[in-house]
Amino acid sequence: MTLGLCAYAITLDHELDLLPGTDVRLVAHRGLGLVVADVELTQFAELDTDPAIDGPGEDDPLVVLARRHDAVVRAVFERRPVLPLRFGTVLRDEAAATRLLGERHALAKCELDRVAGHREWGVRARLPHRPDDRAVRLDGLSGTEYLARRRKRLTAAEHGRQRGAEDAAALHAALTRHATDTAPRAHRSPGLLLDTAYLVPAREEAAFHAELRRGVGGVEVALTGPWPPYSFARLELSAGDRSEAIAHA
Amino acid sequence: MDGNSNSLADVLERVLDKGVVIVGDIAVNVVDIELLTLRLRLFIASAQTAREMGMDWWTGDPFFTPRTADRSVEPGREPAELERLRGRITELERALGEAPAEKGARR
Repeated sequence: MTLGLCAYAITLDHELDLLPGTDVRLVAHRGLGLVVADVELTQFAELDTDPAIDGPGEDDPLVVLARRHDAVVRAVFERRPVLPLRFGTVLRDEAAATRLLGERHALAKCELDRVAGHREWGVRARLPHRPDDRAVRLDGLSGTEYLARRRKRLTAAEHGRQRGAEDAAALHAALTRHATDTAPRAHRSPGLLLDTAYLVPAREEAAFHAELRRGVGGVEVALTGPWPPYSFARLELSAGDRSEAIAHA
Repeated sequence: MDGNSNSLADVLERVLDKGVVIVGDIAVNVVDIELLTLRLRLFIASAQTAREMGMDWWTGDPFFTPRTADRSVEPGREPAELERLRGRITELERALGEAPAEKGARR
């Protein structure tokens, strides 16, 4: 049994009446707050199991912890500006939490100001499936006819992809006008023309959504969110000179 | 446009892969978590979630998969089709079972 302090997010120092019935609490220091809860460290050690073939289910230990992380971050996010921490940030004790806030005070404050009043939205665009093509029957064609038809279809598909890419670029440009910042997903899957997170200020949300509803001709658009600004808190907060003394115990 | 349908894959992608990284002060070795994240990303990319993440673009394209392009099969029809094929396989197996002696003789 080893207890540690799981840190979920940095926020402003304020009354934290969230998630009643849990031990989630705030360690406050000079106007900032670190949202923490006691955790049994063996939980994190045991995550490295079962490489499920079909992907993890809701009862997977990692998924349970990840959902909890999201729930805590969201509960804070609904009330105050929040900088979500990377999953699995575990500190030794409250003294470490206070030290962390003290040493990164200026940068954390500045980042909180940047995301305050914003929500993150995820947008994906892809080419729609075109069911009309499938009516074409290939039986009974000569070899030449068959090849000609295949070439025609390939060309049409290529044109479709080009148009889709242009539409997606136009959509991205339109959405960016309503966003403070954008973050493309690092590894976009090949079928997607757009896979980007947008940091949208409250006053621009209506316009942002109107832009999505207006849509653009040839692409199918999917929206996720609102999210806490997960994709816009990608920074590393290092402790400066003193970090090496306490790092990775 | 319903924004509240955040799937497991979406949640995992954001929670595990994004957010502030605190250097120093960390009691649990972050490197392990990073490796975990990498492996999990591979799970997410597996068949179950590939579709919702838009990685199945080829399945709807009749040029690449002409036989599976027709997705309009009603659920009720599939079992009948399966049943017919199962019957056919049984028939063929039976036919094969009777054949070996004849085949052997020919060699």
